Amino acid sequence: MKYQTQKIAYWYFLAAMILFAVQVSGGLIAGWIYVQPNFLSELMPFNIIRMLHTNSLVVWLLLGFFGAAYFLIPEEAEREIHSPMIAYLQLIILLVGTLGVVVTYVFNLFHGNWFLGMEGREFIEQPVWVKVGIVVAALMFLYNVTMTVLKGRKTAITNVLLLGLWGLALLFLFAFYNPENLALDKMFWWYIVHLWVEGTWELVMASILAYLMLKMTGVDREIIEKWLYIIVATALFSGILGTGHHYYWIGTPGYWQWIGSIFSSLEVIPFFAMMAFSFVMVWKGKRDHPNKAALLWALGASTVAFFGAGVWGFLHTLHGVNYYTHGTQITAAHGHLAFFGAYVSMNLAIFSYAFPILRGRDPYNQVLNMVSFWLMTGGMAFMTFVLTFAGTVQTHMQRVLGENFMDVQEGLGLFYLMRWGSGAAVVIGALLFIYAQLAPRREVISQGTGEEA
Amino acid sequence: MTQSALTRAFLTLLALSIGTTLLTELRPQAGMGFVALVLLLAGLKARVILMDYLGLRLAPMWQRGFNAFLVVFLLTGLGLYLAG
Amino acid sequence: MNQSPAPVPAMAEQDHPLDSLPGDLMIWVLIVSELLVFGAGLLAFLGVRIADPVAFAQDQDSLNRVAGAVNTIVLISSGYLAARAVHSPNKMRLWLSGSMVLGLVFLVVKWFEYTAKAELGIGIETSQFFTFYYLLTGFHAMHVVAGLVIFALIMRWPNPRNLEGAAMFWHMVDLVWVLLFPIIYLVR
Repeated sequence: MKYQTQKIAYWYFLAAMILFAVQVSGGLIAGWIYVQPNFLSELMPFNIIRMLHTNSLVVWLLLGFFGAAYFLIPEEAEREIHSPMIAYLQLIILLVGTLGVVVTYVFNLFHGNWFLGMEGREFIEQPVWVKVGIVVAALMFLYNVTMTVLKGRKTAITNVLLLGLWGLALLFLFAFYNPENLALDKMFWWYIVHLWVEGTWELVMASILAYLMLKMTGVDREIIEKWLYIIVATALFSGILGTGHHYYWIGTPGYWQWIGSIFSSLEVIPFFAMMAFSFVMVWKGKRDHPNKAALLWALGASTVAFFGAGVWGFLHTLHGVNYYTHGTQITAAHGHLAFFGAYVSMNLAIFSYAFPILRGRDPYNQVLNMVSFWLMTGGMAFMTFVLTFAGTVQTHMQRVLGENFMDVQEGLGLFYLMRWGSGAAVVIGALLFIYAQLAPRREVISQGTGEEA
Repeated sequence: MTQSALTRAFLTLLALSIGTTLLTELRPQAGMGFVALVLLLAGLKARVILMDYLGLRLAPMWQRGFNAFLVVFLLTGLGLYLAG
Repeated sequence: MNQSPAPVPAMAEQDHPLDSLPGDLMIWVLIVSELLVFGAGLLAFLGVRIADPVAFAQDQDSLNRVAGAVNTIVLISSGYLAARAVHSPNKMRLWLSGSMVLGLVFLVVKWFEYTAKAELGIGIETSQFFTFYYLLTGFHAMHVVAGLVIFALIMRWPNPRNLEGAAMFWHMVDLVWVLLFPIIYLVR
């Protein structure tokens, strides 16, 4: 660790991993409810569990991004973080907000209260007071990292990272605008949901990937920056108007079907570029970096993101196809593999890279970490296949033959059981990963002791 | 790129455009031969713009790539036209 | 701490294929992206036409082919002037002004076409043909506007590198039009 303030990242990553455990456990329970629909129905209904599953995912990924920013910005800007105090205060605000969200959801407190109650818009259900807290925390964060970068060295990696983080914070402001008209509500809702995961988050992902490639492969910064700019340009070019692929059936004008189909089809390009980028860099860079687990996660992230976000996204993005598949298990298959590949894996890559450095030791528990990679990736891949088959069957029975929704669901039981099994593998993998980070044991046999980081 | 080469490119584009216009005047009822010719002229215009205005004449590898794109695009277009 | 094995020598990247592209790499990324979008849009147009070629031909008859042909000439001439601006540093402003005037002429002609359609009550939702017509020519016209704004910025703050990029953007707008015009206006 070159800069003392990089240590801030440790606490963000730690909080993120705790929520990661909560998130996958919630997923496991939700998956079981598909198998046995009355499970926990009195104690904690499915909608609450699903909310916890998705909200904790988003929050821990964001905590990971914040942590990654605090970790890599000092090295890139070549100076300490502007104010560590603000950074820790920001974390406390986010954790208090998270706790408030969980308690509010689970006990359905202040139901209907505009300020304290749950808001009910999917993914942005947080009570208004938590939303305000999120904005305050985001402002503190942006102030802190922007000041650091402004005073220090400016690199393509930090520029793209800041662009992504500023963008995602500004887009979150749409969470406060909730028009009465349902079509308008959805239209603005996607400004957050879509423009986060298919816009600003991609920039964050690309910059973290570029940083890891820079550190682990030893390829020239100039070459890495060229790739980074191409990835960013194609991501924004396709992703912004790609929002149109959510405007097919919500009451927006018909021409969105063509705008959405054409631009969102191109969204596969930045993901392909990220995959090509990571492999080309590893092949070209002759550095034999000792942290094999982090490298595996980085390569895995870009590969699984290409399949999950790129290929599985394209699968149902054309409006002619989406007319039939909309809202079926195909969407669930795509959502799971895309989030896991792009954002979960990239976070786990930077955790794997940073943890040994933050703890001042050689890379540790490499084998355990890699086992967790294969367990999680294998589990997720199997889950995706199972849900894709389920979605195909569902599309045919429900949308083509016109059978009743619940009758079709009955017929999908076996798929849901297999999905639960693959989910269990992911949970075991996740717990193994967390254990591997937190309980350093065996040092890797090393040839030298030069300091790098 | 010299100025005379640039001017030559411009005159070629002008000639191709006038060709398209004349063709439209001569064959108002259109049809397959007409469409094939119009697409060919469009492809030639695009090629001049890529080669001379955009300077791909100096990058033969990329020139081949863009030409391939144009050929595939126009042939697909022609195929779709014939299917209708 | 991490080990660092012997530092990797800088790779020989001089022969990288991306370096052989004339002009700025990012402009080429944009050109390729635009070609893919307009290419896909035009092929989708021809694909949808298969379902009802007669209706498409009828709608096409209400387009002003002369205006389209005039605009082709206007745009390739404007592109020529922009290319001259890049190659004549002394008379850059003169050539570029000419290019911009022709760009404006293009927009004026386009404006008359659009208002004539509007007077007939034709809009983007009128038919499949017109959805594509407005989407494709509209997106293209927006690029013309963007190009003029970029040129205006170059006039105010001249810089050879930026001028080259701006001219390449303008040629891309040209390129799209010479493919778009025959397919939308003439193919029937």
